[in-house]
Amino acid sequence: MKKPSRIVTTFMLFIGLMFLMPMIIMVLTSFKSEKEVMEPSSVIPQHFTLANYSQAIHSAAEAPIMMWSLNSFFVSCATTLLVLVIGSMAAFALTRIRIKGAEIVMNLLVGTMMVPSQLFLIPLYVILSRLHVLDTPWALILPATAGGFGVFMVSQFMRSLPPSLEEAALIDGCSFWQVYWQITMPLCGPSLATLGVFTFIASWNDYITPLVFMEKITNYTLPVGIALFQSSYSTQFGLTLSTSLLATLPLLIVFLVFQKQIIESMSSTGLKD
Amino acid sequence: MTYIQKRNVTGWLFLAPFMCSFFLFVFVPVCISLWLSFVQLDLTNAAQSKVVGFQNFSDALKDDLFWKATHATLNYAVLMVPAVLLIGTALGFGLYGMSRGRDLVRGLIYLPGMLNVAAAGILWQWFFNNEFGLINFTAKRIGLPVLPWLSDKAYAMPSVVIMSLWWTIGATSIIILTALQQIPQMFLEAAALDGASQRQTTFKIVFPILRPVLFFVFITTTIGAFQMFGQAMILTGGGPEFSTRGLVQFMFETAFNGFRFGYGAAISWLLFGMIAVFAVIQSIVVRRDS
Repeated sequence: MKKPSRIVTTFMLFIGLMFLMPMIIMVLTSFKSEKEVMEPSSVIPQHFTLANYSQAIHSAAEAPIMMWSLNSFFVSCATTLLVLVIGSMAAFALTRIRIKGAEIVMNLLVGTMMVPSQLFLIPLYVILSRLHVLDTPWALILPATAGGFGVFMVSQFMRSLPPSLEEAALIDGCSFWQVYWQITMPLCGPSLATLGVFTFIASWNDYITPLVFMEKITNYTLPVGIALFQSSYSTQFGLTLSTSLLATLPLLIVFLVFQKQIIESMSSTGLKD
Repeated sequence: MTYIQKRNVTGWLFLAPFMCSFFLFVFVPVCISLWLSFVQLDLTNAAQSKVVGFQNFSDALKDDLFWKATHATLNYAVLMVPAVLLIGTALGFGLYGMSRGRDLVRGLIYLPGMLNVAAAGILWQWFFNNEFGLINFTAKRIGLPVLPWLSDKAYAMPSVVIMSLWWTIGATSIIILTALQQIPQMFLEAAALDGASQRQTTFKIVFPILRPVLFFVFITTTIGAFQMFGQAMILTGGGPEFSTRGLVQFMFETAFNGFRFGYGAAISWLLFGMIAVFAVIQSIVVRRDS
């Protein structure tokens, strides 16, 4: 193939800028007054104003954006924590303790990973209403712990580790719990970090699940909240853009910090969205 | 108890939390969904529920709205899948060919994927707005025709596809870039030594090596396209005239706005059937290749 050329590099830098452009425009527009958004004379705001942000934060009754942020934080953190603990324990049982029937369980897991998540919406609604957790954060957290992907991913990683350390610890009289907690978990750090970041992002950005399972406006998470906000203020683009930015900011920070890990693990697992 | 038995008991204890969750939120739902698709369940009048056999499925096949939703889904897939393959491959090659700044551009292309679908949709709804949207505003200024992006049947789906491309293409580009980087240099050097031209190397060596990756992207993009929901929901609400309302949105509205759970479940199984065809093709090809 071609040697790296200057033309390609320049062109790709331009393309990268084009991908970034919509978000730069979004940021700039969020600092414009509504009047200027409607009759723009330039992309750069002529009169910088924080009016949109103060209105976004203060329209608490019909759009409690702080509440939605708290809900999103709680749901995403709890989901990530539970997926990591439950998933890694299951992976440990399947690959390290090597229980009877491990292969059957694994096949079952991988088989159900192909079923589209939309199929579960209606029956989950029925189950969660019987459990009386509809319209609570648990309706979003609990079903997320059942996904086979996390178990599958951590199992693959555990298989690549040499079992000798764990065997030595067992011979020295450690219990399985001690081996799991003190030896296997630290060794699995990289794969747990990847799984954690992806679970957090997926949970934070989930739109259809809270749309179906949440009812009261105060129980919404950010994506559903800002979508509602947009449908009630559909012509106030400055306002809706600034709320969208507020909702996106935490993940942009996560991305800036973990960029390398996110992109590299995404390309190695082929995980999308 | 023998050691093996003890080991098994401990193991199943480790597995228990996951298995409970899996049973309750995966196994039971599949059973319930299957059962629901054979009953007529009306939440507003539960006593009226009755088993109706395959009626929900035959209703769907006779339902004009179901076919409209299928049409919209296929329309999206037909536009989206080739675009993802072509543009994703082009961007992958572009990234590979960069002499410096590759990590930066890779990050920029992937960045839009960090936005949730509502935020991305709100942004693009403003871009596409007829009167004061950025695209028409710019078009007016430089003398290009002003298009009814979201309000016309002919342009609505392409608009949804444009937004989806910006939002998701980064992942595909990076997968292809990674595949290119994993091609052993000696293959390319050997080809150059044998006097292969640029074009011969690309089409006779690089593309054949990329084939499994491109196939993987093709299948996952197709499966993803069948599940399109949020983009159209935010940008157009499924309109105009249902032209962007895909199967997922149809199922969602049937079940949770119309409260027809049985019919909704049947639609979700039909959707699963369409996706399963592609999943099965993939597993057959992957098994054959390995």
